[in-house]
Parts: sequence; structure tokens; C-alpha cells
Amino acid sequence: MMIDEAKKKEILDKLKNGVIQYDEDACKEGAQEAIGGGMDANEAIFDGLVAGMEEVGRLFEAQEYFVPEILMCADALYAGLDILKPHCKQMDLGVKGSVVIGTVEGDVHDIGKNLVKMMFDVAGFHVYDLGRDVPLDKFVEEQLRTDSELVCLSAMMTTSMIGMPKVIEKIKEKNPECLIMIGGAPTSKELADKWGADGYAADASNALKEAIKMVSFLKKLRDEKMQKQ
Amino acid sequence: MNSRERVMKLFKGEQIDRVPCFSGMGNVTEEGIKQLGYKFADIHLDAKMMADTAASTYKLFGFESGVVPVDLCVEAEALGCEINVYPHAEGILYPTIKKKLVHNEAEMEHVKIPSDLASKGRIPLLREAIKLLKAAMGNEVAVGSYVLGPFTLAGQIMELNDLLKLSFKKADKVAKLLDLMADAITIVAKEYEKAGVDFITVREMGATTDVLSPRVFKSLILPPLQKIMKQLKNYSVLHICGKTNDIVTFMMEAGPTAISVEQKNDVAESRKKLGKDALIFGNYDPYNVLVSGDEELVRTTMRKCIDDGVSAVWPGCDIWPTVPPRNMAAMMDEVIRYGGKK
Repeated sequence: MMIDEAKKKEILDKLKNGVIQYDEDACKEGAQEAIGGGMDANEAIFDGLVAGMEEVGRLFEAQEYFVPEILMCADALYAGLDILKPHCKQMDLGVKGSVVIGTVEGDVHDIGKNLVKMMFDVAGFHVYDLGRDVPLDKFVEEQLRTDSELVCLSAMMTTSMIGMPKVIEKIKEKNPECLIMIGGAPTSKELADKWGADGYAADASNALKEAIKMVSFLKKLRDEKMQKQ
Repeated sequence: MNSRERVMKLFKGEQIDRVPCFSGMGNVTEEGIKQLGYKFADIHLDAKMMADTAASTYKLFGFESGVVPVDLCVEAEALGCEINVYPHAEGILYPTIKKKLVHNEAEMEHVKIPSDLASKGRIPLLREAIKLLKAAMGNEVAVGSYVLGPFTLAGQIMELNDLLKLSFKKADKVAKLLDLMADAITIVAKEYEKAGVDFITVREMGATTDVLSPRVFKSLILPPLQKIMKQLKNYSVLHICGKTNDIVTFMMEAGPTAISVEQKNDVAESRKKLGKDALIFGNYDPYNVLVSGDEELVRTTMRKCIDDGVSAVWPGCDIWPTVPPRNMAAMMDEVIRYGGKK
């Protein structure tokens, strides 16, 4: 049974507001209604859940929301996403990627990393989450094992950020085409440039934009190479 | 006036010849560790090594304080958490908490302070290290120690993720836990005072306004901080990371002798807000200026701190051990040259 436009809008609003108001039940309900009504799951994710998260990002920038609220919004988003994901067709983002993500050794903070991971989950990336306090070599091994196009390194403490250049160097040495993003409060564009990282994000919403930009760029490089051959 | 006199007079609010250049947070250097022939992972577990290393930054560079401990896990370990000092790490890795005390909301209510907290974990080792440090250079330079703030400590004994959400959903439960953390922190701080430190820094890094709203800071974080400060006998410094301009008045209300802010704070603005007599320590970036900057950047940054009106030139966080010796020298030289002109 297909639903009409008015009902569709109602469902999308429910998903969006559910995320903004960190209402897990509303998100679950909205997701079930979307599936039951034969809505496209991708549309429900992007025009519902992600639209809500975008608004949350704005509220965060305006300092109306702080980290506790964002964490609760993320829980609500996942409540809807878990229901919608199995019904997703191949994502039509123009890119499809896999990513290795983790917090570097010496750092046990993973809130930022988890928010970035959420954005990759939403975008349909295959995420290899190494967790936190991850030995540097593990990033290198996992990238080789999974042939991921992207590696994301996170650190919240200045004291643990220092492991990053070593990982970047090792991965680039073995696989120069792999793109590397660094993120976390103490990182900066200057450090990313200096250490040879391809992207940098101080927060989760920037990270997704950066990530999609980077994978598209990689795809272009590969296409060009194919044409030459 | 030697370094100790300068720092103590500053705390007392008396006239001094120039702003001091010191820190109440970690300030050991790789250069110091290397000259002593120690390994970073070992200095956390041996009182003599810890004291020697802490003294080396003054001895090598004239940096105007000696501070122990070096890591941030002392209180959580004494409360029963397991720590990892990364004994096999090649480079420098600071200890972290391996096993937490609280794993879910229900367990928050069962946290207890051991009756013999003062003899748990590395507290005895810290007492010994403070005594050794005092004996080695206590007449020349101020000896400090630090404890975590209640929210930061709570974020170590349980998942920070849960703590943050609960501070919104179940503020009462979190307030109760923070009150208990304040008691534990006070016990530890008093042990350090008894061992002879000149000042104590309370590091409430976790409660930055990058994470929590000023409103939550005031209702949830301020009361336990006040509880700690009230019971400290010696000089105290309250450090909070991040964009602290909106909460500097609350930081003062907590009752420390001085506040410490990092590079994201606009000190000129804070000075205007708090008045000319408030002790504001800060606020250079210890990594992007002191480690990866050149001497010129170090010098201009020191002058900017002083021009903005800091009471003491002091880093925004731990001094990162790989700091190039020439930058440490440039920092001290610039503060000594310029720090009396204002």
C-alpha cells in the first residue's frame, strides 16, 4: 500500500522531530510507519533522520544544545536507523566506501569517534570500528585487510594525538591512495597538512562532508587512471 | 626574589617584579627524562623517578614550579579502577583507565570511598614524591600537585557517554555521585597538602563549555567544586579547558585562589570581567606553540599572554614532553625580559 504525500510528510516530520527532541520512541514509530507505508527507506533516513541531525548540528553551533543532548539525539537516530537499514536499497550517493575508524592508543575517549561513525553508518559506508585505545599498527593492518578507502583517526587529548603522524606515515607508505582523516578537539587543519592527512574535522557534521568529498575525489582519481590504461 | 618567593607572593596578592612562568599541571620534558636515563612509563610508578623528573624542568630551563604526579589516573586508581601505563610503548603514552568502577546507571549508587583511601593505589607514592621534590628544590621553587575535578573523575570511573547523558536525564543521581567524588578528591588533596605542596590545581577538564552548557556547569559542577575548594588549606588553582569565557565568573565563585584557562579563552575579555586583582593564569597552546611552533612564535605568544593580562604565564594543558629545549629556553627568556614591563 502506498501512502499519500501528506502522510509521507507526517512520517518524515515524526522522524526529524524525533531526532531533534531525542525521542527514541517517536523515531521507532516513524520508521515502522515508513516501512509499513511502503516508503523508500533511504528517503526516510535522509529526509527524516538526517534532516533532524542537521538541525541538531545547528542547535549545537548556536549553543542551544551541548554534548549530552547530541548523544541523546544520536540514540534516537539509531533507534530509527536500525529499523530502516535492512530495507535500504543500494545507497545512491554516487560513492560507496568502507572506512576504518578508531581512537588512537593512549586515548579512551570515543564520543567524537562514535558520532563520526554514525554519520558513516547513515551514509551507507561499511564501517570497521576498531574502538578506542587502538594500537597504531592495528590501523595499518586493518586498512590492508579490508582495503578501505578511508581511515579515520580520532583523539580527544593532546597527549594522545601525537600517535597520529606515525599511523599516517605507515599507511601512506603501504597504500598511498588511502585517504586519511583526523579528528578530535586538539586537531587542526595545520596539523592535518603537516602530517599528510587528507582531511580534518573538529566535529561530526564536518566529518561526513569531508568524508564524502574525499571518497568522490578518490573515485575520480581511479577513473582517470582506468582511462589511461 | 627567587622563583618560589615570586610564585608565593603572587598567590598572596603581593607585589612582584614580573609575571612568573610556571604551571600546576604536568610539565616534564623528554629532555629531562633522557638526561636522567629514565623511561616515561616507569616514572609513574617510582617516587624517586617521579620527583627527579618533576625537578628537571626547573633545573634545565628555570621553569618556575615542580609538579607531581605526571598522569591523570591517581584518584581513579585509588578508588579501585585499573590503569594501563603502557609499559612497552616506544614513545610517550600517558596512563589511561583500563577497567572502570561503574558499568551502568544502577551501579552509580553503590560507589563507596574506601575508608583507607589515603593508603590506596599510588597515594603513598605521591606523598613520598612530594617530599623528595620538596627536599630537592623546595626552597628555590614552588612545589605543586594536582587532582581531578569531580566531573572529570566521575568520567573516569564510569563511561563518559553515560555520565553526560545522565547529567541531563538524571541530574540528581549525577549530583550525588559528584558530591561523593568531591569528598574523595578532598581526601587526596589533603594528603598532598600534608606532604608539603605549596599549591594544588584542580583540573576539571571534562566540564568544559565545549561539552556542557554554562547552566549545567552552574547547577551540577559548581557545588562540588566549591565543596573541595572550601576544604583546601593551601593556595588552589581551578583549571578548565575549552572556551571558558562564559563561565569564568562561576570558576571564581568556586573559590580557588586563581583560575587557569587555555588558549580558547580570550584573556583580555576575562580580565575585564573579573577585574584587575583576579588571578588568571594562562593561556598559551602547549602543543601548537611550544612544541611545533618556532622560537619567534613562542616569543610573540608569551608577549600576547602578558599583554592580554595574565597574572602568570602558564600553559593551557600539560606541557607536552617532546617540547624542543630551544623553545623552553625562548619561553623563559621572553617572560623574564618582557614580564616585568606590564
